[in-house]
Amino acid sequence: MRRPLDPRLALGLLGLLWLAVAFGAPLLGSQKVALGEVFRDGTAATIFWQLRLPRVLLALLAGGALSTAGLGFQTLFRNPLAEPYTLGVAGGAALGAVLAVRFAEGAGAWGLPLVALASFAGALGATALVAGVAIRRKETETATLLLAGIGVSLSTSALILFVQYLANATQTFQMVRWMMGGLAVVGYREVLWVLPWTLFGLAVLLAGRWELNLLLAGEEIAASRGVDVPRLRFRVLLAVSLMIGALVAVAGPIGFVGLMVPHALRRLVGHDHLVLAPACLLGGGAFLALADLAARTVMAPADLPVGVLTALLGGPVFLLLLVLRRRRA
Amino acid sequence: MTERPAEPVLAARGLVRDEGRRTVLGPLDLEIAERECLAVVGPNGAGKTTLLRCLSGLRAATRGALFHRGRPYSALSRRELARRIAYVPQVRPAEVPLTVREVVLLGRFPYLARLQLAPSALDHRAVENALAAVGIEALAERPLDELSGGERQMAWIAAALAQESEVLILDEPTTHLDPRHQRDVAGLLLRLHRESGATIVLATHDLELAGLLGNRVLALSAGRAFALGAPGEVLAAGPLAVLFDAPFDAEISAPAARLRLAP
Repeated sequence: MRRPLDPRLALGLLGLLWLAVAFGAPLLGSQKVALGEVFRDGTAATIFWQLRLPRVLLALLAGGALSTAGLGFQTLFRNPLAEPYTLGVAGGAALGAVLAVRFAEGAGAWGLPLVALASFAGALGATALVAGVAIRRKETETATLLLAGIGVSLSTSALILFVQYLANATQTFQMVRWMMGGLAVVGYREVLWVLPWTLFGLAVLLAGRWELNLLLAGEEIAASRGVDVPRLRFRVLLAVSLMIGALVAVAGPIGFVGLMVPHALRRLVGHDHLVLAPACLLGGGAFLALADLAARTVMAPADLPVGVLTALLGGPVFLLLLVLRRRRA
Repeated sequence: MTERPAEPVLAARGLVRDEGRRTVLGPLDLEIAERECLAVVGPNGAGKTTLLRCLSGLRAATRGALFHRGRPYSALSRRELARRIAYVPQVRPAEVPLTVREVVLLGRFPYLARLQLAPSALDHRAVENALAAVGIEALAERPLDELSGGERQMAWIAAALAQESEVLILDEPTTHLDPRHQRDVAGLLLRLHRESGATIVLATHDLELAGLLGNRVLALSAGRAFALGAPGEVLAAGPLAVLFDAPFDAEISAPAARLRLAP
């Protein structure tokens, strides 16, 4: 087994990459912006500050949140293939968004469109339902939670199809576009909305660092070492769901990032959550911002939703991981 | 040789454990004295693992109560309990992406403050002591998944020792091990019991091991105490034939009870 990098070096390198992407990515695109023009008045400055920077910042946050959440789910369920949407979070969010498009088009509250708020509510509702079903059985089991998640996902998919059938063509188009997941139309408001939820999620993972490390050795071992496993599960589940719900509300579902990034970073920095969680926040953010840069440049001037791109990348990567795992075993 | 102080280290009073609608354990009364080694035997499904989980505090009593030195488990937090009782379960996850040292260090969790960034020198010393006690210092930096079954068992026992608890509870510590590793683990437990004065509870199908280690043997049948007493009394042909519903040809030789299923 390869030794992981020294944690400080690894986090330092990821931090540098994060900063490079944050400042570099807004300069690139269908129309290049020279560094010198950024601080002068003009179209270039407007493109940089108003259009691209918020989008890159949201991508950095979104990728970080998705990866950190993926890490949380993978440890919680001791399943390397779990990802933020395993528990029906995406399904619930999509159902909320679709209902808002169909029945309350254009409405909004607290500065956010109703679609966003409805999908936030949907994500949390789905998680609550799954957790509720699982907790009714006294000693919650990992398998029960996963199966409940699949059940909720199937139900929401069916309901989404039903709502789409009731909708007109324009609404259906909006719904499909929402479900592709993208960062095309964002401003600083969305960035500021996602930021606190993401930091809260990261803080909960870091505070539970020892407990999550123990969970790697199995639930029974963790419990016998003094971890209150049901409470830990509830805490992490809640934090991660809020983080993902808030993100999906403004960016739509963006798949596979939460699966791929923790996998790659584990090989780089090892398994200690104290290092791995911030590494996911930085590395996942840089990854998604670069993916979004590719999404808005490869087919320029067309602006591909980044969710489509990550899904296109993610499927083959997922299969490759499975094959490599099998070969190693 | 067995000392009998007035207050037992662990006690179960009227312990009953239901799983679903079925009673899998009890009612059972049990006292475990300081420095005692209690071996629990019985056929599959007799409630051995459930008893150990209850004694470890991993499962709550449905009725009755459990006590550590007179204090009910319900008055102790999970971490307080983990500082008093260490448990080595039988079923363990196949893929644990940690090295032996990391696994053993996790045993220090009940002593860590919630936001403590790094383990203290005291924790590291406890890890070294645990590795040395088990004799696996050389394996410390190896990933657990690369070890043989026997080495892995040693690592899990070291992880339990790092908890520095006065009671050690082990579920089938020698199952699935080859004869040499069975002997190694048995020798280790014997040493821990005789030299470090650990209080040990172990469940096993290996009647020889039960006779070798146990000061007393508890035979469970359908969740109840079928027999409880000295190894020579419980691990005799008569009670065993009834317990396992099979004829036994027992030859008890001190200190080990050598037993074989009759042909």
